[in-house]
Amino acid sequence: MATINLENLSMIYGSNGSSYTALSEVNLDIRKGDFISLIGPSGCGKSTIIDLVSGLKAPTEGKVLIDQEPVNGPGPDRGTVFQDYSLFPWMTAFENVCFAIEHTNGIHSRAAVEESAQKYLDLVGLGKFRDAYPNTLSGGMRQRVSIARTFSMNPRVFLMDEPFGALDSLNRIYMQDLLLHLWSEGERRKTVLFVTHDVDEALLLSDRIAVMTPSPGRIKEIIEVPFARPRCRKSLSASADYVALKAHLLSVLYCEMQEAIENQSVDHRTVA
Amino acid sequence: MKTGLITEQCLVVALLAATLILAVVVPDAPAQAVSNNGIFIGILLVLAILFLTELYLQPKTAQAVTDIFLLLSGLLLLWEVIFGKLTLLDPFLFPGPAKVFAVFGADWEIMAKGVGNSLFILTSGYLIAIVIAIPAGLYIGWRKRLFAVAYPVAKAVSPIPPTVYLPYAIVLLPTFSASSIFLIFIGSFWPIFVGAVYGVFSIDQRLINSARTLGLSEHQMVRRILLPGAMPSIFSGAMISLIMSFITITVAEMIAATSGLGWYIEYHHQFANYDKVIAGMILIALVVIVIMFLFDRIQEHCLRWQHAQ
Repeated sequence: MATINLENLSMIYGSNGSSYTALSEVNLDIRKGDFISLIGPSGCGKSTIIDLVSGLKAPTEGKVLIDQEPVNGPGPDRGTVFQDYSLFPWMTAFENVCFAIEHTNGIHSRAAVEESAQKYLDLVGLGKFRDAYPNTLSGGMRQRVSIARTFSMNPRVFLMDEPFGALDSLNRIYMQDLLLHLWSEGERRKTVLFVTHDVDEALLLSDRIAVMTPSPGRIKEIIEVPFARPRCRKSLSASADYVALKAHLLSVLYCEMQEAIENQSVDHRTVA
Repeated sequence: MKTGLITEQCLVVALLAATLILAVVVPDAPAQAVSNNGIFIGILLVLAILFLTELYLQPKTAQAVTDIFLLLSGLLLLWEVIFGKLTLLDPFLFPGPAKVFAVFGADWEIMAKGVGNSLFILTSGYLIAIVIAIPAGLYIGWRKRLFAVAYPVAKAVSPIPPTVYLPYAIVLLPTFSASSIFLIFIGSFWPIFVGAVYGVFSIDQRLINSARTLGLSEHQMVRRILLPGAMPSIFSGAMISLIMSFITITVAEMIAATSGLGWYIEYHHQFANYDKVIAGMILIALVVIVIMFLFDRIQEHCLRWQHAQ
């Protein structure tokens, strides 16, 4: 459990002439145990924020603080789940989880590592598939292993970059419920930074939603999601508050898209 | 489909049987006569048994096995009829199968020693190349700055045939074995090295990022991520290296050895013993088949994660 502070983050790709501003002056304070979603059209810098917090990239300006300490490169205190490439295809599900445990919070005995790995695979319902290679698992199963792996690392912060983006809608519902369950069951809630482009997903999972705008990437609005937990998907989607909030969120996003499209066509005209 | 396969299998047995009967009953042409055609008969019997046990043990690959044996038994029959019995071509240059296979009985000791010598040189040079080229390739593929230096050098040096170094290898190294091992090493090094470098390049950057988020040390990164990730590409390089090594060792033995597979063929070529030359060729083919079979098994095992069931 940790706080995350994004202070005045800017990210500019490229140099001499042809530069592209992916992020511009992004500020965001995430409280302990908060579940925050970043939502916005593609190209708005959502994934760039994940890369900066995980330490895979360094910002052009500004800084990322975790528990008030600046991030200097990747580390196992932040568990990351990517869309579909978190697992190493040459390791079985079990080996993948063991490998992550071995490289996080201190060295355990081999037996302790294996016991813990088995526990987390059982937790996501894949205990029987421990010896399967990722290529032989379905997309949904692979993401379950990824989530088991991230939970097994017991990181301070969870970073999730469209983790369910490649799944069909039924699998997606199942995975959202599983994630909510694991997240709220833990003795201490993790701080989660969750990237998505799915409005319903963001509303169901998050405490707050940061709506982002593209070119340059900025946070336009931060919306509180007031629904009490545990949340029930069915009753939630029928409530008037939910419908109103969703309508608001969609209108913000739609307005953004409209502007983005107009800007692009203006750009094209100036280029031509 | 099924009946077609069974007909084909019967045809294989019939072809082998026909060859066998020809070999036993019909006397060879005088020019092809050999005192003892027992080995040829034995080989026909072994082929038949091998065919049937393979069908029995590996029913999944029955079609491929049948096709291969059909080709093999058809060629043997043609060889026996055209060269052995009818001598349609110069019997001196094109000996019949009984004559060629009899060589294995007469020369088996010298052949076994030759195979042993050749394989010793081959595996020594090849293993040294593997042990050095893989870590070097992984590391250079990982460190872009090293790659910028190594790539032009590799590009210039790798196409040079290893036998070019033969004069110096012979002068500088004490024995034929040592200089041959050196040649095999040089020849095998580049394809494996290039395979490892490109293998690292071909690893999905997103997988590398996933590994980086675990906070691995450089050693762990190379050992647990780059090595297995580059393995498919390393294996394609290693296959080319193996073929190169075989060509190199055979040529080197033809030029300078006193034993070995290449030497055997070259030696008997000088004495115009064409039955022994062909026997030597068959021996090389057999050794290559065995080595390739082992190579494939090792590759299958190492890359088992690639194949979705």
